[in-house]
Amino acid sequence: MKFNRLAKLGLVAAFSAIALAACGSKSTNSSMASKQVLNWNETAELPTMDLSTATDTVSFDMLNNSMEGIYRLGKDSKIEPGLATKTQVSNNGEKYVFTLRKNDKWSNGDKVTAKDFVYSWRRTVDPKTASQYAYLFSGIKNADAIMNGKKGVSTLGIKADGNYKLTVTLEKKIPYFKLLMGFPVFFPQNQSAVEKYGSKYGTASKYMVYNGPFTLTKWTGSNLSWTLKKNNNYWDKKDVKLSAINYKVNKSNTTAYNLYQSGKLDETNLGAEQAKQLSNSKDYVVRKNASTFYLQYNQTKKEFQNKKIRQALSMVINRKQFVNKVLGNGSTAAKGYVSDGLAKHNGKDFTDSAYVKSAVTYNASEAKKLWAEGLKELGVKDLSFTILSDDTDAGNNTTQFLQSQIEENLKGAKVSVENVPFKTRLSRSTNGNFDVVVTGWGADFADPISFLDLFTSSNPENNGKWKNTQYDKLIEASKTTDASNTTKRWNDMVQAEKILMKDQGIAPIYQQSLATLVKPKVKGVIYNSAGVNYNFKNAYISK
Amino acid sequence: MRKYLLKRVFYMVLTLFLVATITFFLMKLMPGTPYSNQQKMTQQQIQIMNQQYGLNKPIWQQYVIYIFGMLHGDLGTSFQFSNQPVSYLISSRIGASAQLGAQAMIFGVFFGIIIGSIAAINRNTWIDTTSTVVSIIGKSVPNFVLAVLLQYYIALKLGWFPIADWGGFSYTVLPTIALGVGPLAETARFVRTGMVDVLNSDYIELARAKGLSKFGIVYHHALRNSLIPLVTLIGPYTVALMTGSMVIENIFSIPGIGEQFVKSILVNDYPTIMGVTMLFSAGLVAIILLTDIVYGIIDPRIRLSGSEG
Repeated sequence: MKFNRLAKLGLVAAFSAIALAACGSKSTNSSMASKQVLNWNETAELPTMDLSTATDTVSFDMLNNSMEGIYRLGKDSKIEPGLATKTQVSNNGEKYVFTLRKNDKWSNGDKVTAKDFVYSWRRTVDPKTASQYAYLFSGIKNADAIMNGKKGVSTLGIKADGNYKLTVTLEKKIPYFKLLMGFPVFFPQNQSAVEKYGSKYGTASKYMVYNGPFTLTKWTGSNLSWTLKKNNNYWDKKDVKLSAINYKVNKSNTTAYNLYQSGKLDETNLGAEQAKQLSNSKDYVVRKNASTFYLQYNQTKKEFQNKKIRQALSMVINRKQFVNKVLGNGSTAAKGYVSDGLAKHNGKDFTDSAYVKSAVTYNASEAKKLWAEGLKELGVKDLSFTILSDDTDAGNNTTQFLQSQIEENLKGAKVSVENVPFKTRLSRSTNGNFDVVVTGWGADFADPISFLDLFTSSNPENNGKWKNTQYDKLIEASKTTDASNTTKRWNDMVQAEKILMKDQGIAPIYQQSLATLVKPKVKGVIYNSAGVNYNFKNAYISK
Repeated sequence: MRKYLLKRVFYMVLTLFLVATITFFLMKLMPGTPYSNQQKMTQQQIQIMNQQYGLNKPIWQQYVIYIFGMLHGDLGTSFQFSNQPVSYLISSRIGASAQLGAQAMIFGVFFGIIIGSIAAINRNTWIDTTSTVVSIIGKSVPNFVLAVLLQYYIALKLGWFPIADWGGFSYTVLPTIALGVGPLAETARFVRTGMVDVLNSDYIELARAKGLSKFGIVYHHALRNSLIPLVTLIGPYTVALMTGSMVIENIFSIPGIGEQFVKSILVNDYPTIMGVTMLFSAGLVAIILLTDIVYGIIDPRIRLSGSEG
């Protein structure tokens, strides 16, 4: 009897000890669910895993999570260590020497070496590869000449010294060069795999090798589901918590939402109507895109050369009402041309530094005044013009809203609208065949220059032909004289944006965002608005 | 009969050739390039890309190259899915579409005949009225509305079938119903009308006078005659099922071909547009030929006049 009681006490003590020991272990482990599987929704197929030819967000997301480059982009597009253990930059900023880690392997067992980078970069800039993202290499020594077929690929400014030292030579300093290294098009490729699979390379999960946190499985090249599985060959596998991410393509938001409710998905995109209804849900998460939609005026036409007309048309837009009541898909009123949340300097967002209130704020009475003055300056009583836009829901909603706001408030304004397919809209913009067009621009990397470059007078995509010499000078200075001075460079870009806004060269309307639902138990997902969106390396599922 | 068939097959090939030609040139009239990133590429780069893909050649040359390739069974490589042959894109996704279409057709026609027959036999009773009302609803409610309702109530609320995705038979039930209700309603209406006419005719009166059972009369005499007009509907049904499946595939996340087609047009994926158009046209032309042959078998009068012409 006594012994029995003692034994019981002993057991209790033993259990307590175990329990205490468990408490002492890493806190993330104790708060993590036992099953680390994430079920994620996609709205489109995965078209390719060939990083040289990929162009869409799904491909880039899968590449970012199954491959590893020199760096990996963390929260707020911060550069985190990837394969580089050491980076040396020359004084003039034109030469980078990366020392690579020795413990990362391809999924076919080969070691990841500096030669894989050299091979990959040469393959991408080779005109025969027909890479649509090769233009990002512009500025690396000889890249432009190679892309235009004037020089051979071996002249590209990248060199491997032994297996683990990589030297990159630039034609001129690229202030955002490190950011680019986190974009999949700059990741390494395994030459033997590319050559072995030939034209099948990257067309199915089995025709591909991986060196990132996860490996891709169950993708046939055209199916609607696939899985990212934890990669046990990854150099930093101890920090990868998820054992698998299951992707399902559901193009209908309603279907995806039903699956979410039934627990089959941990994340889903919301359509505009759903977003309006669910915006108070605790699962509601808005993913901002680095893309701004704006009115572009055709300034080869006399009426739009008039600044007052341009300002009146901007001031008449009630952006808050538009994004909340009309679009309702999580998009936000534009604070300026460069998107919000893209880049910060000394803790301050670019959009706050370069904010020009009058250029993006609704002011009907001021608009009426400016409009009347503008018409007088033009010597006309009324003005009719056409607004061109996409034939999507968002496009139709935008033109309808603009038409009613303009005709209601501005006397003598006659607006007709034209909604055409995206490709038609693009080609009409390029040909200058429009009065006013609702158009968008998205950044490839988290630097304001990715936006601002567009409105220099020499840029062929500056379809509205807005010109400002001061603007051109500032952008030029940011790339040359001020390129090495972060603060000066930043101020140049801030000033440039202010000039564009004060002159109302364009009228920003909204920043595109995506409303989503994410189960609160999903933690540690990193989302960036520019370049690659999702990074699941440190994501996990809590209890 | 053989001469008739040969002639028909010749017309079929001619039709397909015309479809290929017209589609090819219409497609080339669409503005823009197949490059999703064209805004950010320089003119020079676009030119180099065009060279790589043979898009810088004169259009007639591109046309000749395409037709020549198609005759050799080469449908080209997709732009959107880089390096993926169009023939693979189609073959890997046609299965689901074909299965869904076939199931919907069988479901619609089978239940349509049953409901139509029952309504005709019980003419002017509550059964007839109910079936008419059901038919009208089935015909007028668009299939995507029905699909969403089925998905919400039957799959999400009751949990009887999966919400979406494509796996075993259970995954096909709701999309089949959603897609098959249209043909079901139409079939029921046709069969009822046809059978009411037949049941009023003299030879049925005779059969009845001979003392044949009710079932025997309907099955052996009435049904066969009232099915003739139905055969003409198979062609239009096929078209409806092909186009309808684009929406249904989207709602139930089925890896079919319909949705692929719409997407390929939006992104100027020339080889995929051509490939899928040719597939759809070939399917339609074949179905039309098939219905004409079946028509002949069911109604000998048509077969006779056919062989004369």
